[in-house]
Amino acid sequence: MNAARISLAIILLVTAAGIFSQWVAVHPHNLPSGNALEAPSPNHWLGTDDLGIDLWAQICHGAGVSVLVGVSAALLAGIGGSLIGMLAGYLGGIADRITMRMTDMMIILPDLPTMIVLGAFFGPGLINIILVLALFSWTGTARIIRSRILSMKQEQYIAAAQSYGAGFVHLAKTHFIPGVLPIALASIIRLTGRAIVAEASLSFLGLGDPTSKSWGLILNHAINFKGIYFMDCWKWWIMSPLVAILILVGAFAILARENETSAVSAFQK
Amino acid sequence: MSRTIYKIAEYVLTFFFIITLNFFLPRFMPGDPFTFLSSDAGDVTVTCSQAQIDRYKSYYGLDLPLKDQYLHYIGNLFTGDIGYSIYYNDDVVRIIGNRACWTVMLVVVSLILSGIIGTIIGSLSAWFRGRLFDRAAYLFLVGFSEIPAFLTGLVLLFVGGAWLGWFPLSGGIRPFTEFSSVISRTADIIHHAILPVLAMVLTRLGDFYLLSRSSMLTVLSRDYMRTAKGKGLSKPRILFGHALRNAAIPVVTRLFLSLGTIFGGAVLVENVFNYPGIGRLMREAVMVRDYVLIQGIFIFVALSVLSMNLIADILIRKMDPRIG
Repeated sequence: MNAARISLAIILLVTAAGIFSQWVAVHPHNLPSGNALEAPSPNHWLGTDDLGIDLWAQICHGAGVSVLVGVSAALLAGIGGSLIGMLAGYLGGIADRITMRMTDMMIILPDLPTMIVLGAFFGPGLINIILVLALFSWTGTARIIRSRILSMKQEQYIAAAQSYGAGFVHLAKTHFIPGVLPIALASIIRLTGRAIVAEASLSFLGLGDPTSKSWGLILNHAINFKGIYFMDCWKWWIMSPLVAILILVGAFAILARENETSAVSAFQK
Repeated sequence: MSRTIYKIAEYVLTFFFIITLNFFLPRFMPGDPFTFLSSDAGDVTVTCSQAQIDRYKSYYGLDLPLKDQYLHYIGNLFTGDIGYSIYYNDDVVRIIGNRACWTVMLVVVSLILSGIIGTIIGSLSAWFRGRLFDRAAYLFLVGFSEIPAFLTGLVLLFVGGAWLGWFPLSGGIRPFTEFSSVISRTADIIHHAILPVLAMVLTRLGDFYLLSRSSMLTVLSRDYMRTAKGKGLSKPRILFGHALRNAAIPVVTRLFLSLGTIFGGAVLVENVFNYPGIGRLMREAVMVRDYVLIQGIFIFVALSVLSMNLIADILIRKMDPRIG
């Protein structure tokens, strides 16, 4: 439980740094504030890039983008997937079959190449990235929720409610949503971590939104800088966004794992 | 048997879904190729007259009704004609063929390595359950599996390649070199492939480790394991002769099923190391907006992942008759 609290604290800290990036960092994130490729110093905590822009400011600004993209894609996919899963489990029959075949297809599809193709065709932009990420991550949630609804439908209180004439909306409000909430929450935490990685990967390939500089985009700029291999600047220019991604993704992974273990042990009691 | 046919039908359906998506994506986009031609790069403006646009539209068959275009597209696809790359001025199939062997080599080698190493560490871990080795291996491998391969690759590249200078910085083979023998050529290819493969193996290892560890724990608790111990067989023989044979089935199927994920990882890792495979080709095609090439690569990747999944499905049924 302790590890979960620490990782939650890290996630909140990163989010706060992203929201209040103007105040957390002294220097602007989009204007030069020093010489090019300065090493880390008390003035520039993480050094500067090839244009003399402070890296600490860029990391703080990028934290906002990463968390925004990750959380909104995960919320969209988690809520959408839960709804689809609930409907499929409740309705059964043809609707259920069609959704399950669709999730089968989405699971087989190699996701990163497909995301690259979609990203290339729909053009860069935060909203497009969020939509593409959500489109590719709702299936897992939908499947878990569906199977939970299927087992809930066997319970007698559902049958009793149905015999009084309860429809889907009423059942969902009073029974289904409270019943699946812990599972939905767990999968949203998992999805957030994965969406952050996916966003970093896409913008590392240069498919991100060029106007909102995320951590992946900083990496993309750094690796395309000629001479990065032969100078010392990679030690701060490459490593700081890389470590930032690692910390955030690691925190989400630990939180998800702890959450799942506590959910399982609560279930077994 | 009917289940197998059903499964194959599902794959065929998925494949048709993919190629249909591939067909409709560029046609749903705002604009058409001629607006792109008219205002390329901002400074050079080529304006086409309406007559020219009409001529090219009929030349490329873009003035036909969608249904005819679609049938035409499917027909071309099945005769192996994916199209002609605008940027590279070459047949898409030939370009992909030149690059595919690099990616296939990376993917296959790292899959097999991570499967074997993961299974060995996983079985040892199950045998020494709860001891220091088990805990250390668990923490290390599961931790690494959460790190995306391209980040591991970046660290490896800059520490091993740029800083220590032990490994080449980019490419799949040293350019402009005459190799004296096949051995030195192979050695050079291996030298270039070590870091990319290592990055992918480190990321995949955790998956195989967890799978073989839990599968081994189940096998070790079975009665025939107690019999083997009672007979006084040596530990390695029990572990690798009796237990592993049963515990390896899920690992083998997972090898095929994780192909899609590892393809995605390879796309990124190739871009980190400038490796001359499909992944870098994909990024180059995206950068120069060579849509025909992007679509060709997409079909190639989807087709290979689909067929490997189908093989895995059939293999599971063959190896374990309990799954009907």
